[in-house]
Amino acid sequence: MATYLGTHGGKIQTYTSDPSNPNTGEVWYNSTANTIRVEAQTTAGAWATGGNINTGRFYIAGAGTQTSTLGAGGESPPGTVVASTEIYNGSAWTSVTSMSNARFFTGSAGESNTSALVFGRYDPASGITESWNGSSWTEVADLNTGRGRFGGTGTQTAALAAGGGPPNNGTTAAESWNNTCWTSVTSLNTARGYVNTGGTYTSALTVGGLSPPGTTLGVVESWNGSAWTEVADIATPAGIRSTFGQDKDNILAVGNGLTELWNGSAWTETTDLSTARGNVGAANSGPVASNIVFGGSPSPTLTEEWTGAGAPVVKTIDTD
Amino acid sequence: MAKTYQYCVAKNWGKGFIDHVESQKITFVGLPGNVWQVPAYNKHGNLWIAKVAGAVKTKTEAQAIVDAEVQAAQATWDALPDAEKAPAVENNKRPTDITLEE
Repeated sequence: MATYLGTHGGKIQTYTSDPSNPNTGEVWYNSTANTIRVEAQTTAGAWATGGNINTGRFYIAGAGTQTSTLGAGGESPPGTVVASTEIYNGSAWTSVTSMSNARFFTGSAGESNTSALVFGRYDPASGITESWNGSSWTEVADLNTGRGRFGGTGTQTAALAAGGGPPNNGTTAAESWNNTCWTSVTSLNTARGYVNTGGTYTSALTVGGLSPPGTTLGVVESWNGSAWTEVADIATPAGIRSTFGQDKDNILAVGNGLTELWNGSAWTETTDLSTARGNVGAANSGPVASNIVFGGSPSPTLTEEWTGAGAPVVKTIDTD
Repeated sequence: MAKTYQYCVAKNWGKGFIDHVESQKITFVGLPGNVWQVPAYNKHGNLWIAKVAGAVKTKTEAQAIVDAEVQAAQATWDALPDAEKAPAVENNKRPTDITLEE
């Protein structure tokens, strides 16, 4: 009779808790849970709940990664624009120093919850830009074109802003940030507000948007550092999305109950949020396989964490 | 006709309420009033309801909870000044009715 020892050359280990960094395919016995477990890989993306944000809000600026996230500003229902800032460590949100200026639906960029940039404001229009170092906000050079209702991507020192408004029906303006000033770059082909951006400041994707009053756009444009090229539309235009992923050929767009994954040539609908909502914030750095969205309307306190296909995950072997 | 879904009430406490493995096995739908829809006659759904200490509801009971929440949100929206009901404001559409599935 074949045995585990015979086919794999070793007995499975017994642990009182799961090992911290097992190899893919490694099997062990968890003596506390009385179960056999394996380090497997996910076969499809999935959302899990994360810690609830302290100040519920939507149109919140986001930066960082799933385990080092910044959320700043936004609109806290009913109708209060806030400056409050919170950081997330992978399990819980903590309130920290507020921005100098209350604002919502700003652009944002940043690689962690200690290094981020928030820029722009819609009403009244402003290019105000603040830089976060983990403990305080510092006002730096304004955008050339004061506006809000856009996303933004990149890092604290190298960011991209595209689209937004005013005007009410959106603009084509695009600017890049070099840690000293904003410089106007080649404009988008299609003016739109409520647009979101993923990728880096030299390699990015702008996704969807709205052209008021209420016209939803599925248009997507790709940025190579010098020019915008229109690519395939999102499958289901559904208003405001948040986007994340540093690789413009691997971007996830989330919002209004829908999640779509971009592979560089086409959009595919994938697992939706557990609680459908729009106007969520997203940490726009880190890999698309491991990211996070938070806030939104309705349900402005919720956080959900995305684990993409191929990610390591501990599974219990079901013997029933 | 056999039902497709079951319903429970459970407050989302945040991290760990739904984990990635659970989310890969079944589809969760969060609804107003802390109502959750998960597949019926499903071991993983049953285990999750037990984990979160969910109060199981019939579809009729769950529908009543959802309706009450939606109607309250609609009343709040109806009381807003007209200027705040502008159709271009994406986040401020009137909440729509939700009909639960069997």
